[in-house]
Amino acid sequence: MADDRNQERQRIRRTALMLAAVAVLFYLGFIAAGVLRS
Amino acid sequence: MSTAVTDAAHIDDHHGPDKGWTRWLYTTNHKDIGSLYLIFSLTMFFVGGAMALVVRSELFTPGLQFVHPEFFNQMTTMHALIMIFGAVMPAFVGLANWMIPMMIGAPDMALPRMNNWSFWILPFAFLMLLSTLFMPGGAPAGGWTMYPPLVLQTGDAFPFLIFSVHLMGLSSIMGAINVIVTIINMRTEEMSLLKMPMFVWTWLITAYLLIAVMPVLAGAVTMLLTDQFFGTSFFLAAGGGDPVMFQHIFWFFGHPEVYIMILPAFGIVSEIIPTFARKPLFGHDSMVYAASSIAFLSFIVWAHHMFTVGMPLTGQLFFMFATMLIAVPTGVKVFNWTATMWRGAMTFETPMLFSLAFLFLFTIGGFSGLMLAIVPADIQYHDSYFVVAHFHYVLVPGAIFGIMAGVYYWLPKWTGRMYNETLGQWHFWLSTIFVNVTFFPMHFLGLAGMPRRIPDYATQFTDFNTVASIGAFGFGLSQLLFLYIIVQCARRQGAEATSEVWDNPKGLEWTVPSPAPYHTFDEPPPVTRDVAFT
Repeated sequence: MADDRNQERQRIRRTALMLAAVAVLFYLGFIAAGVLRS
Repeated sequence: MSTAVTDAAHIDDHHGPDKGWTRWLYTTNHKDIGSLYLIFSLTMFFVGGAMALVVRSELFTPGLQFVHPEFFNQMTTMHALIMIFGAVMPAFVGLANWMIPMMIGAPDMALPRMNNWSFWILPFAFLMLLSTLFMPGGAPAGGWTMYPPLVLQTGDAFPFLIFSVHLMGLSSIMGAINVIVTIINMRTEEMSLLKMPMFVWTWLITAYLLIAVMPVLAGAVTMLLTDQFFGTSFFLAAGGGDPVMFQHIFWFFGHPEVYIMILPAFGIVSEIIPTFARKPLFGHDSMVYAASSIAFLSFIVWAHHMFTVGMPLTGQLFFMFATMLIAVPTGVKVFNWTATMWRGAMTFETPMLFSLAFLFLFTIGGFSGLMLAIVPADIQYHDSYFVVAHFHYVLVPGAIFGIMAGVYYWLPKWTGRMYNETLGQWHFWLSTIFVNVTFFPMHFLGLAGMPRRIPDYATQFTDFNTVASIGAFGFGLSQLLFLYIIVQCARRQGAEATSEVWDNPKGLEWTVPSPAPYHTFDEPPPVTRDVAFT
């Protein structure tokens, strides 16, 4: 039971971090595109 | 039913709500946070609405009557920012917080502390934005699109605007992460992805859109900030930059944003119509594919906002046809809702009335959108009142009627009391009549050549403007009825609601008592035939 909960927490953390990384990538990516363009 | 309610007395980590204001400040409970979002959204709806009434008062007759042109521009800009980021988006996040865990059989959102943080950022962001009204130079007045170089003429308000947009974006991204993580990881075992209710599906798609585009808006306004204060020239032609690039980046965010504000409303209507037609949703899976297609297409149509800026013919053709393509999955949805009602045993309680008005009036907004997609026609319509009519049809009887339908549908589940049906019907009819009185004449004004964002106009536009202003005040006053109905339910006035509330509705949220207990689904609930959608 406790193992299941830990696994679920790990899964949640992994998914959240992945999504946050995508958001940061988009943020920095668009600014980088602006730097290259200007 | 036995798994739905937690026996609070016997489990240490489950307790009731705190007493006093700290309950709301420290809460990690999805229902509390949902309520906070909804109350905040309703407050902002009235603040933004008051600004709209300032605008409509000034436009009641030609000439300058009540406010200076500068203040008029501040009102149009603030009205848009507050309604989009303060009213519509938080309302949908509030509904998501309340309903998604209950619909998928989860005990709470996956990241409850981040959920608290997502909400409590918002009041500070909007206080900061509203405080600019009292600063030298006043509030931002260059339009919600914040186009440079105009926006760089904003006075002391500028950094406050940028910071508040960053905070709104941060809040939205955290909310979206929470929604996705909850749906992906915390569904009850028997609920496969295609068994999820449509509101959950549309929110899942919306959350992906949010994560993809809110950072883009943040990037754009960061570049504005550095252009203004740190000597960069991203968008300054004098320094080798390109102001049109801002428009491309902004609308790469801005067009998906439109779908962020309408997809959850599609989900709400998809819940309500089957309940009151007493039939399963027609084409559940095709609704999922249609919503996904709309989301995909929303990323490749942004430049239809910029036809008059100038672009190669191939660009014009691509963005025109890609935009028209969106009508296909949207049509799938409209026909599926209609087919759901076909030969159904329909009744017309307030949520159903709002959903039906949504269906008809959103379609009007969709059709005027198709007209705007036609490049040669758009060159005539651009920046006219026709555009104002179009997006208000999408956002008011579209998004806001969707929210109102959802509030009436789920209010008995939240409060345990039935709302006053007679007052609800009055609210519906007044809102529907006045929304058309307000916004329909704007089509004619636009086609006759009245530009948007002006405090004064030529006298030939007087009659339709007067009608629109009367409609706006009627619509605004009708919303006081909405407030009264909600307060009545929240104060536990009205008939007690059963757990099902309506006539045999589908979904796990109707298996828990009304009002929904503070903690639900300690154990994953079974998805029986009685609650399943497909």
